[in-house]
Amino acid sequence: MMSGESESTESELLLPLETLLAAGIQIGTKIKTKHMEPFIYKVRPDGLFILDIAKTCQRIRLAAKFLARFEPPEKIVVASTKLYARVPILKFCELTGATPIVGRFLPGLFTNPFLKDYMEPEVVLVSDPDADEQAVREASMIGIPVVALCDTDNLFQDIDLVIPTNNKGRRALAMVFWLLAREFLRAKGLIPPDGDPPLRVEDFEARPEEF
Amino acid sequence: MPRCFCCNRPIPPGDLAVRFPCPNCGKIIIWRCSTCRSLSRPYKCPVCGFAGP
Repeated sequence: MMSGESESTESELLLPLETLLAAGIQIGTKIKTKHMEPFIYKVRPDGLFILDIAKTCQRIRLAAKFLARFEPPEKIVVASTKLYARVPILKFCELTGATPIVGRFLPGLFTNPFLKDYMEPEVVLVSDPDADEQAVREASMIGIPVVALCDTDNLFQDIDLVIPTNNKGRRALAMVFWLLAREFLRAKGLIPPDGDPPLRVEDFEARPEEF
Repeated sequence: MPRCFCCNRPIPPGDLAVRFPCPNCGKIIIWRCSTCRSLSRPYKCPVCGFAGP
């Protein structure tokens, strides 16, 4: 069992352990921050820090439940500048009705009412607090909560809810956003408690040949 | 005046604080002042005991 907690059981996981391990959502980086220490399970001999999958699943469930409390879903903004997060975010927003911001985050999008694309979100989800620093900073300036996917090298500055996961891998990002979408739809009651969304995990994966 | 759930200091009007329902139970509104957010100080829900971020 990939967990440091003895009480963790297979039933707490959102998918079978082998599926989650194959997507690589537990793989961290060779850098560890003090903030991420509670979510780290072990260090591999090659120096890579490994995240606790049980805690990742628990946080995905929590974050989905948290996001589902905001109405209407268009007020949820999902932002990422990362190339591999582009497709997962677009698919996530297609399923949930959230607003995607992929690519460059135009400064002032949340703070400057004179901009054409100005918006007033109620919650922001980012795929990497370092890469999406502008979105996190503007969210903190207007006083809205920030949910972030954090790897072992991230800090929690201006973050209100952390999802510890690999936020760099193509398949890991697809898996995390698919799980978030599934738990979001379940929390909203749009699919049955044991149902799956109409899109598969493979549909969430970014295809490098399309870039 | 609301109080910060991290440092217990009162939050004055106009402060860049954030408020959101508890991610776990949703029964209580959690307040965090701008200082505690930028210093990543942990918060705890008094109802369910959830500790964040």
